[in-house]
Amino acid sequence: MDELRRFARELLLKKEVAAVIGYEQVGEARTRPVVITDPDECRRLVLNEYCLNNLVVYLNRARIKALARSKEGIRKLAVVAKPCDIRSIVALIQENQIRRENLMILSMNCHGVVRDFGCEFNGDNLAAKCISCNTQSSTYADKSFGEVREIPKFTGKLEYDLSEIEQLPPSKRMEFFREQFDKCIKCYACRAVCPLCYCQRCITDKTIPRWIESSSHSRGNFAWNIVRALHLSGRCTGCGECERACPMDIPLSLLNRKMAMKSKELFGYESGKSTDNPTLVGSYDQKDSDELFM
Amino acid sequence: MTEEKLILKEDLLRICDDVIKKGDTLLAPGKSEYVIVKDVSEIKLDPEALPTKISFKSYVFPKSEPVLYYKRSKNDVTLIDADVNGRKIVVLGAKPCDTGSIDIMKDLFNWDYRDEFFNLRAKHFIMIGMMCKTHDEYCFCTSVGCSPVSENGSDLFLIPLSDKEFALRIVTEKGREFIEPYFRFLCDADTKRTEEVLSAAKNPETAFDPDEVHEWLGRNFESPKWDGIGEVCLSCAQCAFACPVCHCFDIVDEDYSYSEGRRMKNWDGCQFGHFTLHASGHNPRDIQSKRYRQRINHKFRYYVDKFGKILCTGCGRCSRGCPVSIDIKEIVSNCKD
Repeated sequence: MDELRRFARELLLKKEVAAVIGYEQVGEARTRPVVITDPDECRRLVLNEYCLNNLVVYLNRARIKALARSKEGIRKLAVVAKPCDIRSIVALIQENQIRRENLMILSMNCHGVVRDFGCEFNGDNLAAKCISCNTQSSTYADKSFGEVREIPKFTGKLEYDLSEIEQLPPSKRMEFFREQFDKCIKCYACRAVCPLCYCQRCITDKTIPRWIESSSHSRGNFAWNIVRALHLSGRCTGCGECERACPMDIPLSLLNRKMAMKSKELFGYESGKSTDNPTLVGSYDQKDSDELFM
Repeated sequence: MTEEKLILKEDLLRICDDVIKKGDTLLAPGKSEYVIVKDVSEIKLDPEALPTKISFKSYVFPKSEPVLYYKRSKNDVTLIDADVNGRKIVVLGAKPCDTGSIDIMKDLFNWDYRDEFFNLRAKHFIMIGMMCKTHDEYCFCTSVGCSPVSENGSDLFLIPLSDKEFALRIVTEKGREFIEPYFRFLCDADTKRTEEVLSAAKNPETAFDPDEVHEWLGRNFESPKWDGIGEVCLSCAQCAFACPVCHCFDIVDEDYSYSEGRRMKNWDGCQFGHFTLHASGHNPRDIQSKRYRQRINHKFRYYVDKFGKILCTGCGRCSRGCPVSIDIKEIVSNCKD
């Protein structure tokens, strides 16, 4: 952690980056994203099991982008990212949203994170995405911090099992998701925290014509949640932030994971793996399977 | 003076059972929200539970509701009133930081226009509050004029004396009317014990003085403090929708077809970028820092100026649930020179 603080401070002092986006500790079991431009403030940076946010979301924010434009011609931003978050960076580079040369990736050698703030870090409270994680450190980062330790063995219980839901007959599956989506209050926290949801103007905010009903009734909720899942299919890197942010506990990652599985099965594509490949949609081939066409 | 009685938990549950059997709606705090109780065995009545993730607001001010239906013909438009559902709703075991929420919102919904939807629902609410015996780092009810033992907004108020018995205070006439048919379940109060329990309440530490905050906000519309928050906030509406008193809404028309449709009233949130977007394309709150400033000013200055009430109950839901851990208590506490 001290190494990260020193390194980040140097970056700002030497004016290599315009800002450092990292985590600061707030309370015992919680961190908060922090945008640092003053080198001395780097002492606030932390790296631990409570670094839940995917900070890559900030790279596409107008206010943050403006920092890298206005300050003395410094184009680079430094971002603290877990190896799984780095997959979102790769996806954004593939989609021409950010440039690698304008980024300083400070990676954290990760041994898992908690499922939510306030939990004690142990096998019971391991985040779902960490259960079968096999990328504890990243080779794509500019520098990695912290030691690689073993991820605790998951001893908790997941509330929903994707394979069980897959096995339900279509009508039951529909019923399950309708019930879940009915809970949605359209706060759009899922959209706000998603690094891949970067549209300047989301389709749900368009009013002429209105494609997605803004009302939070069954139909409006269903439309929004399905559009969200479809727009992220072949793109979602599985950071799980949408599900964590949801105040109504909707298991959003079930759909995301299913879409990721389909992308792999049908097209051999995994989002966020490599900047050498075009995106899934960008690599459309007439010989592609049409199983998913509606 | 408030009348006090003693009631056994099992008798309280008998009353609840009767409410359900009569077909009235019984709401109680569930895992993450207030839920409609179908069977009394689901009732927890845990004074040590933290506030649910969202309040019971949607039962008095639904997240989405039709306000009228319309039909178009060649030269005419016919309007049809929407039915307002004014069923009796009994809220059992509401936290003191929730019980007062309807009274706070009532001022807005009766200000320049009497919102019959809100009023009719509010009229049919029976609020059974319960003393709160816990708090976490996000709670700050005592800073906004509320407290773990506040009866404000409650028709009846429960004070847990043990696992099996409660002191029951009859706070309003509405509460008396509700409990009168069940008087046989009530015994004489043991006020000494009640006082002991009440005085042992765990008050969250006072974090700020709302008068000082009000005064500071008046002088610091352009403070650079807002900028820092604007950088981190991601502009969702978790805070507004989880809030027991945030009440902004949007009116939209939904066409079923060319000739028919309905007008909807939907929750809206001031942190959304398009909340203040004008038809001209101009947006007076074009960046996040201005939007967050609005949120704090509305709660601690504008609403106070207009209605003499703070638009906040100190429940801490917005902070607890914020995806980027923005803590309203911390921000308001820093509203000083």
